[in-house]
Amino acid sequence: MASTVIGAGITIEGEVTSDEDVVVQGTLRGKLIAKDAVSVEQGGSVEADITGGPVSVAGTVTGNITSSDRVDLQNGAKVIGNVKAARITIADGAQFKGNVDMDV
Amino acid sequence: MARTRTGGGGEAVIGRSTRIRGRVSGDGDLRLEGSLEGDVALSGELVIAEGARAISNVEARAVTVGGELEGDIRAQGLVHLEAGARVRGDIHSESVAIDEGAEFDGRLSGPDFELPPELGGGARRRS
Repeated sequence: MASTVIGAGITIEGEVTSDEDVVVQGTLRGKLIAKDAVSVEQGGSVEADITGGPVSVAGTVTGNITSSDRVDLQNGAKVIGNVKAARITIADGAQFKGNVDMDV
Repeated sequence: MARTRTGGGGEAVIGRSTRIRGRVSGDGDLRLEGSLEGDVALSGELVIAEGARAISNVEARAVTVGGELEGDIRAQGLVHLEAGARVRGDIHSESVAIDEGAEFDGRLSGPDFELPPELGGGARRRS
């Protein structure tokens, strides 16, 4: 159970910093820095650079994603931006425009 | 649209070790357990939980404070300051409840709001 949930219908404009899991079902514009997992769920929209642990996206992200672990773009995800992570999966049905840096 | 855990308005929780600097707005309810620096405008209810800290002007349907708030509150419904709450700012609301043990430094006002005589409401009328 995530400890921070930006629910559907909620919009945050600014900087979110968290030491715990963050789930985005609503809208976030600005910047997101999490020590733990970040999940942008279906219907969620992030217009921000994301820095986090494992990042999974089923919603929309416009911005760069940097993960200390892995990035999973799930079916239905729409990501415009660069992804930097050691591991990445792009599921069938995910849309992605940007560069991948796996730090090899 | 399919949603996992939420209904129409959606739930939102800002967890204990989460900090936000910026504006928060929306249709749903919001529970703040962490810290927030920036204004809040909600059509739902805002809960500032015990241990939470906000430097914000707040507009919501109803507001419950158990933590710390620096800023003004405007609510259509009930503003409830729980024991342990610390609020510095003005409250504009239909109805206000202040529990024993809450600290409040500010002014109360409302559309049809009159303090009971023992709290000075009568004194103002007499003058």
